[in-house]
Amino acid sequence: MDGAVLHLGSGKPTMTEDDALAAKGVPSAKGQARKPLIKLDKLSKHYGNHTVLDGIDLEVMPGEVLAIIGPSGSGKSTLLRCINYLEPPDGGHVSIGDISLNAAAPAGRSELSTLRRSVGMVFQSFNLFPHMTVLRNVSLAQERVLGRSRRSADERSMQLLKRVGLADKAEQYPGRCSGGQQQRIAIARALALDPDVMLFDEPTSALDPELGLEVLAVMRELAETGMTMIVVTHEMSFAENVSDTVMIMADGKIIEKGPSADVMRNPQQERTKRFLRAVHDR
Amino acid sequence: MLPSYEELSAWLPDLLSGLSISLQVTALSLLIGIPFGLLLALGVLAKSRLTKIIALFLVEVGRGAPALVLLQFIYFGLPTTGLTLGSFTAAVIALAWNTGAYTSEIIRASLQSIPHGQREAAVAIGLNRLDALRYVLLPQGLRVALPALLAFSILIFQGTSLCFTIALPELVSRAYEIGSNTFRYFPALLAAGVLYASISIPAALLVSHVEKRAGSYAQR
Repeated sequence: MDGAVLHLGSGKPTMTEDDALAAKGVPSAKGQARKPLIKLDKLSKHYGNHTVLDGIDLEVMPGEVLAIIGPSGSGKSTLLRCINYLEPPDGGHVSIGDISLNAAAPAGRSELSTLRRSVGMVFQSFNLFPHMTVLRNVSLAQERVLGRSRRSADERSMQLLKRVGLADKAEQYPGRCSGGQQQRIAIARALALDPDVMLFDEPTSALDPELGLEVLAVMRELAETGMTMIVVTHEMSFAENVSDTVMIMADGKIIEKGPSADVMRNPQQERTKRFLRAVHDR
Repeated sequence: MLPSYEELSAWLPDLLSGLSISLQVTALSLLIGIPFGLLLALGVLAKSRLTKIIALFLVEVGRGAPALVLLQFIYFGLPTTGLTLGSFTAAVIALAWNTGAYTSEIIRASLQSIPHGQREAAVAIGLNRLDALRYVLLPQGLRVALPALLAFSILIFQGTSLCFTIALPELVSRAYEIGSNTFRYFPALLAAGVLYASISIPAALLVSHVEKRAGSYAQR
């Protein structure tokens, strides 16, 4: 009951995206031009004749938490993977902070390396390295990519593991941890490069509801610290209560995007209504 | 049929020095051949067409030609091009090539058996290709490959007996030599066989032990 009251009391329906961010304490910029941290321009991706992303335009503000929802095969994950060039897009522009990549030109190694340093990614299946301890998983990129010494990398890793509540697992191997713990370790690993933005690709889909909750709690905490996040998810409560903006995708296009409460409770597009109805009817 | 005790004690120094040469050839072939196999595996998986073609050629010849033919080719064939090699060197080159060609397939398959997400995670945390290979893919791939590599090592050890044909004084050559001096071919070869088995059987037991441990790693 309490939850439901809180839920309605969050009062987001009338907020603009800007207000929603301001309410969270993200440096607001009413009046002055705020620069988006991420800007996608006409981003497209094809597999053979199949269009997966059909000219996506998207802006994400610093500190914004964007949830992407939509049916399977709508291109949500591909969009995420194009943002950090895990799959290079084949048309359009990706810019993140000072980095700007044109999909038409092959991306240089140093550009890609800078891009990946500023973007952390969390996968549906965790993808921790099974042959390394939890601590090494989190420290590896700090040493090899940021050039930190093992000692300072391990120190930072311990801070991050504490933050996700798993400092006691540092010397264990990932296989000894539960799925929820593995995903929290994966979040710590992605945070280890101090990224500007975190991408989450269905982070709770491989977990049972209970383990999913502990991952969502970590993500919520991360959102509260002002981390810019793009979350592909089927967790409607996360989309509604934690994210600032929600975007619905279908068939490689953005169907609808807006402040989360607006989109979730008062969708404008027929396709969105249909999707949300299907989700709620389950 | 069986060698007498006196015969054995008379032959043993020769046979053991033969065994020592067999083991040296095996060790060198593996030390050179397995890293070569790793390079060939990476070459076959490479994006560059030229690298791929060269690697495929070396793998297909190395696997396609019997080790005996490789040996003969390198020992008797190369001198016609002006390159003369001692029988020990020729043996090591031929068997290392053979090892490289076979192990490259073992290593390639092991690398490809690693879930795709591992490479993606390595790329996503910013590792370059070499670091991804070194820290993420190879340690896991080689663990998968280890039992098969060890099993292949036993085959190469037994394969050193082919070097008998290029006058390398390894174990079979020594046994044959004893046979031709004493007309006691069968007992001499029998003694050699026991020596081969004394290495191969414990090694095979080791392989199955490693195999079990590798299996438990995969389940962890």
